[in-house]
Amino acid sequence: MTVSDHRVRGVDHIAYPTFDPATTVEFYRDVLGFPVVHSICAAGWGPEKHPDFIHFFFDIGNGDRLAFFYYFGLEPFGGGPQGDAYSRFGEDVPVFFIRSRHLAIHVDSQEDLLEYRRRLDSSDWPVEMQIQHETIESIYTHDPNGYMIELTRALRPVTPQEDLDAELTIEALVEVTSQPDPSMAALLTRKAELIVERAAAWEEEQTATRERSGA
Amino acid sequence: MTALYVLDVPENVPLATVAGADPAVTVSKIGPYFEIAADGVISIDRRATGCRHAVWYSSVAGLRGARITQHDKDALRVEPG
Repeated sequence: MTVSDHRVRGVDHIAYPTFDPATTVEFYRDVLGFPVVHSICAAGWGPEKHPDFIHFFFDIGNGDRLAFFYYFGLEPFGGGPQGDAYSRFGEDVPVFFIRSRHLAIHVDSQEDLLEYRRRLDSSDWPVEMQIQHETIESIYTHDPNGYMIELTRALRPVTPQEDLDAELTIEALVEVTSQPDPSMAALLTRKAELIVERAAAWEEEQTATRERSGA
Repeated sequence: MTALYVLDVPENVPLATVAGADPAVTVSKIGPYFEIAADGVISIDRRATGCRHAVWYSSVAGLRGARITQHDKDALRVEPG
């Protein structure tokens, strides 16, 4: 495996369509307090028939932005009773799958998380769930377009061994899903082999690095 | 031998401690992982560990000579296989 240097610097923007810009602005700017930082008013152009549109951006912290497209005259597309402004799903599609695609915005502390909980709970979009996951705590709601949004804080810093664990998981996952009948049991069996093969050497390397740096 | 691997991070430590309270179970370290091993069945009581559900259900890192026969709100049971 070749490791290329890592030059990117986070999210510039993520973009979603909206059919309801007024309520979208109310939710992000007025309820959550995310400033509007940029907008583009564009006449439709190009080889394909394209409506006139407004592209507008909210600051979600750290210089990162959440953007929306509003297309004049465009009506929502069909596809089923579940989902959001971008994608509609039939009744048979399970909720866990629909919720798997979501935007999670980071906050630094429990105080900040609870402040956003207070803002949402006093709005038309109250918090639907507050959950302590493995190492993060999150609140969730759906925005006026049906997009699931999460605000999350770390319960503790990530440890170096979690990076090793992720590396071994991904190696096992890639192998197991390249073979017939992938399963959790197959993944955990392969991962155990990788742990036996590499975990002790990884720790020795960590110790040696700490000693070299005089820590 | 039945062996279960669990990453050594703060929230997993009680799981290794509770597992090791069984005299038939040996808990050792391999790098940053606990190796929880026994000749036969390993059964760990969730309530005794105090692990909340999200931690409990994502605590298993690897299985050697073993299969999970129970992993619910009550216990994690690993048997030779």
